[in-house]
Amino acid sequence: MQELALVMSGECLDARELELARLVKQAKAGDMAAFEAILVRHERQVLMTALRLLNGNLEDAKDAAQQVFLRLHRSLGQLDESRNFPSWLYRVTINVCRDALRIRMRRPTVPLDEAQHRAAVVDSDEKLRHSEQMRMIYAALETLSERERASVVLRDLEGHSTKEVAHMLQCSEVTVRSQISNARVKIRKFVGRQERRRL
Amino acid sequence: MSCADYETLIALYVENDLTEQEMSCVESHVETCAACSEFVAAMRESQAVLKALRLDRVDDADLAEIRASVMSEVSSRRKPIAWPKLAIAAALVVTCAVAWMWRMRPDVAVVVPSMAAVTVPPAPMTLVHTPLRTKHHPVRAARHARSAPVFKSEPLVVKMFTDDPQVVIYWLVDQNGG
Repeated sequence: MQELALVMSGECLDARELELARLVKQAKAGDMAAFEAILVRHERQVLMTALRLLNGNLEDAKDAAQQVFLRLHRSLGQLDESRNFPSWLYRVTINVCRDALRIRMRRPTVPLDEAQHRAAVVDSDEKLRHSEQMRMIYAALETLSERERASVVLRDLEGHSTKEVAHMLQCSEVTVRSQISNARVKIRKFVGRQERRRL
Repeated sequence: MSCADYETLIALYVENDLTEQEMSCVESHVETCAACSEFVAAMRESQAVLKALRLDRVDDADLAEIRASVMSEVSSRRKPIAWPKLAIAAALVVTCAVAWMWRMRPDVAVVVPSMAAVTVPPAPMTLVHTPLRTKHHPVRAARHARSAPVFKSEPLVVKMFTDDPQVVIYWLVDQNGG
């Protein structure tokens, strides 16, 4: 009945989204297994997004992901299962990571090499190259503003459309386009500088 | 439009983020401008580098760690209330209180309406009308006499059923005001 209502409401949800809506409904009713199923379904997405927004710091990303899911549990009562849940989750992830970055800015920074960077342990030339490339990209992302980073991560790394990114960031498509354009130019300049330094 | 203006459009052009009209505008400029054509190539290269981040993976162990800590935190928030135990405890407290009140009850002083004006030796929990009141307010005294409760020594037993069929609460009500 609920599924029929969702389809009739014009949301045109596919089977996967209907299943998610059912899980959200069950979780709202206090079903812990349903909540865990939501967690399993979205934990990779949340952790990867957090990792990219937090410049590759895995420990901070794990803390942020935990915060996101605790916030989800607290907000279950207000969640509308017919709305776009993944979009809501991205928005919460972005907000939690923004708060984490602000907290990090207030505390003394640890040099990247000494930090628990996930690319620190390497055991082959290929892995070393990959690790260096990852480090450079994270460093490039660090040169962006919060909004630019969020836009470019959602558009270029998560693969969402400009319209979807605008919805997630709750701003206009024109603003998102401007942020993405600025971010890409900054990244291009950073990568260019790195290449010139290497030569 | 200068090449600097095209730079921002090219950043969107390389990922097809422009309208058809804008796309054709950029394409026609790039065909005639070597610097912008070079910038398009450089921009495509840096986008490829950026997208390498898509290959980055997280370990399942990290995901399991997050899941475990979230589920543990959430479960500790939702401790279920042990209603049957709570009902038994409440029944015991009520029973003990009633038993104690029953033991501590004063000697019953039976006051009948006709005796309302009679001075009874003071005892706790009994209604006593002093002669002074009856003397000055005979009407009120008569009304008091009419409304004075008729005390019975038999306690009233209230039996309360709960959701749990094994828990029945008995409430002994002392009708002497206890």
